[in-house]
Amino acid sequence: MTVRWSALRSRAVGAFTGLRGAGWLRGPTLLGLLALVALVVVVLASRSRPVAQPVAFNHVKHTQDLELGCEFCHQNVNTGARAGLPNAETCSACHQEQQGNSAEAVRVTTLLAKGDPLRFNKLFRLADHVYFAHRRHVEIAKLECSQCHGAIATTRRPPSRPLTRVNMKFCLSCHQAKKQSVDCVACHR
Amino acid sequence: MPRWGMVIDLDRCTGCGACETACKSENNVATVSSDQADLGRATAWMRVMTEVEGEFPNTTMRFMPRPCMHCDNPPCVKVCPVAATYINDEGIVGQIYPRCIGCRYCANACPYTVKYFNWFAPEWPESERAHLNPDVSVRPKGVIEKCTFCHHRLQKAREDARAEGRELREADYQPACVDACPTGAIVFGDLDDPQHRVAELKHDARAMRLMEDLGTEPKVYYLTPRAGT
Repeated sequence: MTVRWSALRSRAVGAFTGLRGAGWLRGPTLLGLLALVALVVVVLASRSRPVAQPVAFNHVKHTQDLELGCEFCHQNVNTGARAGLPNAETCSACHQEQQGNSAEAVRVTTLLAKGDPLRFNKLFRLADHVYFAHRRHVEIAKLECSQCHGAIATTRRPPSRPLTRVNMKFCLSCHQAKKQSVDCVACHR
Repeated sequence: MPRWGMVIDLDRCTGCGACETACKSENNVATVSSDQADLGRATAWMRVMTEVEGEFPNTTMRFMPRPCMHCDNPPCVKVCPVAATYINDEGIVGQIYPRCIGCRYCANACPYTVKYFNWFAPEWPESERAHLNPDVSVRPKGVIEKCTFCHHRLQKAREDARAEGRELREADYQPACVDACPTGAIVFGDLDDPQHRVAELKHDARAMRLMEDLGTEPKVYYLTPRAGT
């Protein structure tokens, strides 16, 4: 079967606009328009999904005003591969009783009283085949959290998308600068 | 820079298969059904090869544990079209699963037949899924897998040594098969470090390597059985 491109295009244009033969939608303009649509689709598809959290956690309040260490909530950050997220038990340490009068503080205490598990969601995600260990980077190499996580400690509301783009280029640039292993099996298995 | 290698004393090997089991458990090696195993589709990064020598009743059973030889001149690396298999600075021949396209050139190039293709998606009974080793990936269908000398253990050992502010010791990094061997037949360490036992054992009069004439320079040595055993 042979396909006549020009006929196909004019039919497609007709279907799109209902203006069969509209002069301005011919040739380069149409191609440009399709390219633009494709670009928008690609950009939207490549963006990570927004991450929602059970409560509006305020990092500034906890890490700066109250001077809690990161490991208070991310309990395995110095010892394990995964830093860990806080759960109802961690929050209960303080929020069993209402802290302050903000609407969110009231809500946390109410949720805890109701037995809500307060499941926080991972914001920074690595591909499944990347074997990253927080212990190696935080406890041994003494990197600051912000090196990879950006200004997370200065957020007052939970960001819905990661503040930095952690990809292989990002990892390798640091590994090369600090003369650390760039061996494939160091991260991939 | 260390050059990791292994020496296996065939006089000490009783063929118990502990190394094989320990390896499968450590490295999340999936099992296949027995009919597929008969077709040669079973995976064992470490396999105890068996052979009966002599004629009945004067027979001797021979055993030969066979892991990846981690050749210094690996034929599998030469044929990989996507650089999924490569030899690192410490002599470990790695396999990067997300890169592997499953062409199986390497499996065919390997004279020791220690590269395994995943013909099926890995499956475990529900009761065993919680026991998978989180430090090792579960390989998907369609990629080649192989022994890594338990490289993840090296990483962990280095991490511990650095945290304690000391040098890596020989005993810190031992693959699972070595740990499991009840007779101490498998010895592992840095072939270039005179402090390590393997550096001495590789010069033993009984030491030999498999298919040395191919020029693959394997880093697994065997100590051949003494006469009369």
